[in-house]
Amino acid sequence: MAIFIQIIVYASLILYIAASVLYFAGYRSEKNGMLKAASAIAIVGCIINFLALIIRTILSGRLPLSSGYEFILSFAFLTSLLYLIFEWKNKAKNAGGIVMIIAALLILAVIIIAGGQLDEVSPLMPALKSPWLTVHVLTAALAYASFALAAGLAIIQIRKIKQGNTAQDSKIYRVVAIGFMLLSFSIILGAIWAEQAWGAYWTWDPKEVWALVTWIIYAIYLHLHRRKTWRGARACWMVIAGFIIVLFTFFGVNFLFSGMHSYADSIDPLFHMNEQFL
Amino acid sequence: MVAAKEIYRIISSMKTGLCLLVLIGLVSAVGSMVFPGGFFNTFVFKLLLLLLLLNMMLCTINRVVFFKKSNFFKRKIGKGLIRQIGVLLLHSGIVLILIGGVVYSFYGQSEQIEILSGETTNLAYAMVMDKPISLKLNDFKIETNHDGTPSQYYSDLSVIEGGKTQRKQVISVNHPLKYKHIKAYQDSYGYAVRSRAVTNTDNGQEQLLYEGESLTIPGSKRTVKIYRYFPDFDPTKGMAQNSMKQGDARVVYSVYENKKLLGVGAAKFGSKIEIDDHKYVVFDGVEPFTVLKVKSDPGLIFVLIGSLMFMLGVSMALIYMPARKKQNQLQQNTAVV
Repeated sequence: MAIFIQIIVYASLILYIAASVLYFAGYRSEKNGMLKAASAIAIVGCIINFLALIIRTILSGRLPLSSGYEFILSFAFLTSLLYLIFEWKNKAKNAGGIVMIIAALLILAVIIIAGGQLDEVSPLMPALKSPWLTVHVLTAALAYASFALAAGLAIIQIRKIKQGNTAQDSKIYRVVAIGFMLLSFSIILGAIWAEQAWGAYWTWDPKEVWALVTWIIYAIYLHLHRRKTWRGARACWMVIAGFIIVLFTFFGVNFLFSGMHSYADSIDPLFHMNEQFL
Repeated sequence: MVAAKEIYRIISSMKTGLCLLVLIGLVSAVGSMVFPGGFFNTFVFKLLLLLLLLNMMLCTINRVVFFKKSNFFKRKIGKGLIRQIGVLLLHSGIVLILIGGVVYSFYGQSEQIEILSGETTNLAYAMVMDKPISLKLNDFKIETNHDGTPSQYYSDLSVIEGGKTQRKQVISVNHPLKYKHIKAYQDSYGYAVRSRAVTNTDNGQEQLLYEGESLTIPGSKRTVKIYRYFPDFDPTKGMAQNSMKQGDARVVYSVYENKKLLGVGAAKFGSKIEIDDHKYVVFDGVEPFTVLKVKSDPGLIFVLIGSLMFMLGVSMALIYMPARKKQNQLQQNTAVV
C-alpha cells in the first residue's frame, strides 16, 4: 500500500506538471488541440489526486482532513477541481497553466512533508475528535482552493489589462466572493468548535490571527471592487497578495509558530507541559 | 453643528472602517510575530477593536435609515433585495460578535482550576459568583490508543450547590459541562507525587508535591524538584515521552544546590535515591489531578447569534451576486451611502 499511494501521488504531480506545460504551450501557440489535451490531462490528474484521497480515507477510516499533508492533498485536489469547473463553465483555458502549477507545487509539498509516510495512520488527538473537524477543515480547504483559482486568474488578467482588457474582472470577483464566504464559514465554525474544545472561541493564536489577516484582505478587496479605480491591475495584485497570505497562513504558521493549531508534532497542544523545570 | 456632522460622517464612513480593518490586520500580524502572547490584551489593540465596533454600528444604522427612507424594503423580493438584506445581516452579525467580545472583557471570567481525585473545589474562590458552586472530582481517567498516546481524558465530576449534588457528569475534551452560567472544560491534567525525605534512621513525613514543586532535604542544602511523572517511561525519548499507558512508571526529578542544577534522574516508586550523604528521597506513588477551565461568559449568546447572522448574511450577499450591469445600477442608487 505504501508504494501504491506513493506512485499515485507522484503520478498526480507529473500529470499536473504536464497539464501545466501543455496549457502554457497551447495558449502561446494558440493551438486548440494542445489545449484540449491539457484539459484531458488535468482531468486525469484531478481524478488520480482524488484517488489518493480515497486511499487515505480507506487507510485511516476518516476523511483526509486531519493532518497537515492530508489537508494539502485535499487543497490540491479542490484547486484543480474548481479550476476544471471554471474552465467548463466559462470555456476559458488561459489560467490553466498557472493553476496547474499551483496544484503541482502543493503535491510537491505533500511529497516533501510526508513522502515516506503517506500510508501511515496515527490516531487523532482528543481535541480533534469532533464532528466540527470535517466542516471546519473542509470549508477552509475549499476557500483556499477558490483563492488559488482567483490568484491564477488574476495573474493572467494583469497581462491582459496591459492590453486594455478587463473582461475577466467580474469572474475573479465572483471566485473571490465564494472563497470569502467559505473562509468566513471556516472561521466561524472553527470558533464554535474552539469554544467547545478549548473553552474560548478566539484566542489570537497565530493561525487565527493570520486567518483574520486573510479575511481582512479579501474583505477589503470586496469593498473596494465597487469602485472603478480599484478594478483592474490593483485589484488583481490584491487577489495575488491575498493568496500569498493564504499560503503563509497555512505553511508559515504551521511550521514557524507554535500555537493551538500546531499539529505537526505528536505532542498534544492541549496538554503541553512546562519545560522550564529542567 | 457642522463640525459634529462632519465628525459623525468620518466615524461612520466605510473608508474609516476599511482603514481600521487594515490597521487591525497589520497590527495583529506584526504583533503576533514580535510580541507573542499578551499583545492582544493591550489597550491600543482593544481600542482599535472598539473603534471598529463603533464604525460598523453607525455604518449599519446609516444603511438601515437610508433603505427605510428609500422604501427599499417594500420592493419586490428579488436578488437585489436578498443581497442587500444579506449585507445588512452580515454587518450586524459582526457588530454583535464584537459586542459579545466587549461584554466578555467586562463581565466574563475564565479560570484554570486543579482538583485532586476525590477532592472538592469551591469555584467561588476562583471566580465571582452569587451562590457558591463547588466541583468534586470523583475520578480522572486517561484512555490511551494502542501506541500509548492519549485518546481521551475523562473527569468524572459532581456539581455541588447549596450542599447538595445537583448534577453528575463525565466531561472530556470537546464535551464540556454546562451548569447555569458556568461551563467547565477538560483543559489539562497532572500528577501530584507522594514524596518523603528519609535517612537511615528516619522514615520521613509524606508530602504531596505537584509537578514543579520542590522537596527540601533536612540537614542538606540540596532540594529535589519534581519535574514530571511518566506512567510509561522510555529512556531513549528523553523529555519527549508520549506514552500514557501504564508501564515502567518513573518520576523525573532534578536536584539543586543553591539554585544550581546538579543532576536529573528518573526514579522508580519505592526506591531510595541518595541526594546527599546518607540523605535520601523516596517517591511512594502519585495522585492524579484534573485541570479544568471554568468559564462564565454572558457575551457568548451575542457572539453565537452574531455568528449565525454573519454566516447567513454572507451567503445571502454573495450567492445572489447580481449581474454586473444591475450591480452598477444598484451602486448608483446606494452611492449616497
